[in-house]
Order: sequence, then structure tokens, then C-alpha cells
Amino acid sequence: MNIEIFGAWVAVFLTLAIFSFLYKDNPFYKIAEHLFVGVSAGYWMSMFFWTQIQPNLFGRLWPSSQYSESGVWYRIYDLLGVVAGNVFPDGGIDKGHDLHFIYLIPLALGIMMLLSLYKPLNWMARWGIAYTVGMAAGLRAYGFLSSNVLGQVKGTIMPLVNTELPLFDLVEPSHFNNLVILVGTVTGLLYFYFSKEHKGVFGNVTKVGIYFLMISFGASFGFAVMGRISLLIGRFVDLLKFSGEQYHHASIWVLLLMVILLGYSAYKEKENPEV
Amino acid sequence: MNYIIELILKLGKVDRRWIFLMIALVVLIPLLYPISLPIRATATTQQVYDAVEKLPHGSKVLLSCEYSPSTKPEIHPMVVSFLRHCFRNKHKIYITCLWPDGQFMAEEALEEVGKEYDLKYGEDYVLLGFRPGNEAVVKGIVSDLRKLYTIDSKGTKVTEIPMMEGINKFEDFDFLFSGSAGSPGSIDWVQYAADPTGIPMSTGTTSIQVNEVMPYVQSGQVQGILAGMPGAAEYEALIGVKGIGTSGMDAQSVAHLVIVLFIVLGNIGFFIERSREKKHRGY
Repeated sequence: MNIEIFGAWVAVFLTLAIFSFLYKDNPFYKIAEHLFVGVSAGYWMSMFFWTQIQPNLFGRLWPSSQYSESGVWYRIYDLLGVVAGNVFPDGGIDKGHDLHFIYLIPLALGIMMLLSLYKPLNWMARWGIAYTVGMAAGLRAYGFLSSNVLGQVKGTIMPLVNTELPLFDLVEPSHFNNLVILVGTVTGLLYFYFSKEHKGVFGNVTKVGIYFLMISFGASFGFAVMGRISLLIGRFVDLLKFSGEQYHHASIWVLLLMVILLGYSAYKEKENPEV
Repeated sequence: MNYIIELILKLGKVDRRWIFLMIALVVLIPLLYPISLPIRATATTQQVYDAVEKLPHGSKVLLSCEYSPSTKPEIHPMVVSFLRHCFRNKHKIYITCLWPDGQFMAEEALEEVGKEYDLKYGEDYVLLGFRPGNEAVVKGIVSDLRKLYTIDSKGTKVTEIPMMEGINKFEDFDFLFSGSAGSPGSIDWVQYAADPTGIPMSTGTTSIQVNEVMPYVQSGQVQGILAGMPGAAEYEALIGVKGIGTSGMDAQSVAHLVIVLFIVLGNIGFFIERSREKKHRGY
């Protein structure tokens, strides 16, 4: 059995194990769920380490271009190399960087974050988290202001009278579509104005806003259903592929085995309901 | 009439597992016996196609892969079709990934499309790979790509890759396509890259994200969107190469019809029960 066929059998088992939850919670589902959590955590950690921490952090602190055996800084590196030779290879890390001592700050902040696991010093983790939160907040404030506020406001400013536009067209720009955008934006925004009670004329206007919001939620729900069906199709396409002779009918055998075992378990449960 | 009403009420009380089984069947049968329903490109898909067509041959296109195996059925066909379209028009492809799994998805797509064209790594395409940091990575690519990517996904120094010559920041690219299944993804590219620099971008997203990204398309901040699996199928139809997007559309359409039917029946059952309850209480 080559690795491709073995992979297909594993994929079939995991897919059907997850689907088996639709029948009820069972050991197959639990195996797949725990495997997924464990493998994902390990995979992400290793990926982050080898794509960022090793090349971009250690690579900037001990680049091979400035390696010198006599320097104190590289003696520390050589010492680390004895402990983890594949992370700190002989002669420095060759990832195209120059030496930047400023990267000692992120290294320190990173170590502080790991200290959250050590109770007496776990307060230090707050500094690392504070830096991340501050940086992300600053970065996002600009992005939201420029794209979500200014860009969107610009997008809703449309001419109500334009001789080049047709009066009605649902797909292409038209007077009707412009009017829908204007009414939807204004009434939708007014719905979130809570300083005045939603009564009388104002109440009727905000009610129109609710209808626009409901249409939007409906569209979101429709898209969500479509997305889930697409994912189901993807899994079924793979299951059909793996049910072929090339993969020794993996889907059929695994499905049969699972149905028999779950059926047997259900039968036993019926016989001894207290177990 | 009474028989129909009782049947609808009975259907409303059916074990949900029968509904799951029915959905599984209506998805499976059209996959086994396709009915080839017609596929017509919507305006937003056409916009993406036109944006790529408008680029002069040899343009530098940045493709960002922000999806994983869980969303592969929706995004992968888009990325494969987009690569086909770009390679056919002789564009140079630079691939970055904001999701770790995106790198492997990109490798798979390149392997699939690479066979069809005489491509050379480093001259026709380059896989720069994944970098953690979400929007900070986008910001890094915009300000100084060389600082973020000193090596590609294979560990080759970018200074040794011929097609990286002259590529120092986001503005050195002619176009961006983001194949996005969530955050970080298309919205981050709009906010931190496309909007501040004015470089045109298009996107392909999961269905669930469409409503979130659509306002950027409407306002012209994004040039078109491939919306979920139908978007992928429409793009496949436009470039004339059928793939998994097209083959899945029959199943998608039939499943939608059945779900709509369930919703209608569920609502009818709800209203009948409510009116019976009102009568029972003597309203």
C-alpha cells in the first residue's frame, strides 16, 4: 500500500467520522475531533516557528553575514547551537538578513508572553499582550477609517439624476439602484439612532431600515447555506474519488465498517440502556 | 386537503437525521448523474475576468492564498482558474499566503496548472509563502516586501530569484487577487494595500463572506468578486476550462431547491399549528 492510498483511507475515515456526528455523538467523531485539534495546534506552531521566529527573528539576531567566532554575541549563539543545532546551525543563520539588535525587544516581549505559564512571573505577559493590542488597534483604526468609513461613504454618494443611466436595471447601475442604496443607507443608519423614540414618522422610517437589514440577514443566511453545501460537495467529490478501485474502494469499506459498528453499539445500548 | 395538512404537520415533526440523509442524497445523486444546468457569468464575476483581461501581457500579478483544506471546495477552483487565466495571458505570478495552509493549497494549485503550461519557477511564478502577522504582513508587503520576505517558501533568497528584480513593495505589482476564506483576507488587502496605493484588486471568497465583501465591490474599491462555488463555476465557464466548480453546480442547485422546499413546508407547518393553537385557546 503506497502512501497515497494510505492517505486516502485516512481522509475517508476522518471525513466519515466527522459526518457520523449527524447520527449522534460517538467514539469515531471524538477520535477525529481530538486528532484535528492536536494536529492543527502542532502544525500551526511548527509553521509559525519555521517561517517567522527562526528566519526573521533569530535570523536577524545572528545572521551568518556577521558571524565571528571570537565575539561574545556569537558565542551565545554557538552555545544555543549545541542545544538545538537545526534551529541555530553552524556559522549563523543565512536568511539574507543583517544584524539588528532592535529585534531583542520582540524577543523579550515574546518570552514575556510565554511567562504567562509561570505563575510568579505571569504578570509580565501583559506587556507583550499590551504591545500586540496597541499595535493592532493603531493599525486597524487607520484601515477602518480609510476603507470602511471614507471609502464606503464615497461609494454611497451617487447622482440621483444622471441622463446616462437607465431608469430601471437590477444588475447594472440605474436610477432605481441608486435610489435603493440611498434609501437603504439612510433608513438603516436611522434605525441605529436611539436618542429619539422610534414612533410616528420616525418610527415608520426606521421600520424601512429594519426591512433592509432583514433582507441583508436573509442574503447572509442564503450565502451561509450555499457555503455549507459547497463544502459538503467537496467532501462528497473526494469520497466518490476514493471509492474507486484505485483506492481499493476505501469509502465503501470504511462506511460499511462504521455503520456496522455504530449499529451494533446502538443495539447493545437498547439491550442495556443503563450502560 | 386535510390529508395534505396532516402530512405537512407530520413532516415538521420528522427526525432531523432524515433531513440530513435527504440532503446527502440530493447532493450525491447529481454528482453521480450530472444534469449539466447552464452556467452564466454574473456581473461581478465578469468584472474579475475583465480586470485580468485588461492587464497587458507580462503584468506582475500578486496572488494571495488565504484558505485551508476546509474551504478548498469553494476557493481552490477559483485560484486554479485564476492561475490558468494569468498564465494564458503570460502574466508573472507572485504568491503570498496569510494563512499557513494557504501555502500548501497554492503548491497544489501550481502543480495542477503548471503541467498545462511550460513554466519555470522563479521566472514565471514564485511562491513567497506564508508569514504570520495577519494585517501586519499586508502592511509589511505595502511598505517593504524585501524586509518581510528575504527567502521564498523553498528557502531560496529572493535576491537570487530573477522575477523578484524590481519588486520591493506592493506598488510594484500591477494587480492583486485574494483567494480568501476569512480573516486575515480580502478585507485586510482592501484596507491596508489596495485602498492606500490604488493598485487594482479582485477577490474570490467563500459564500459566507460575500455579504461582507460586497460593499467594497459596490463602491469600486474591489473590482468584482467570485462568490463561492457558483463564482468559481462562472469563472471556469469564462476561461473555458471546466473544473470542480462546474461539476458541483448541479448538486448545489438541486440541494438549494430541496432546502427551499423544506423552509416553505416548515413555515406552512408553523402557521397551521399557530392558527390551531389560537382556535384552541378561543381567540
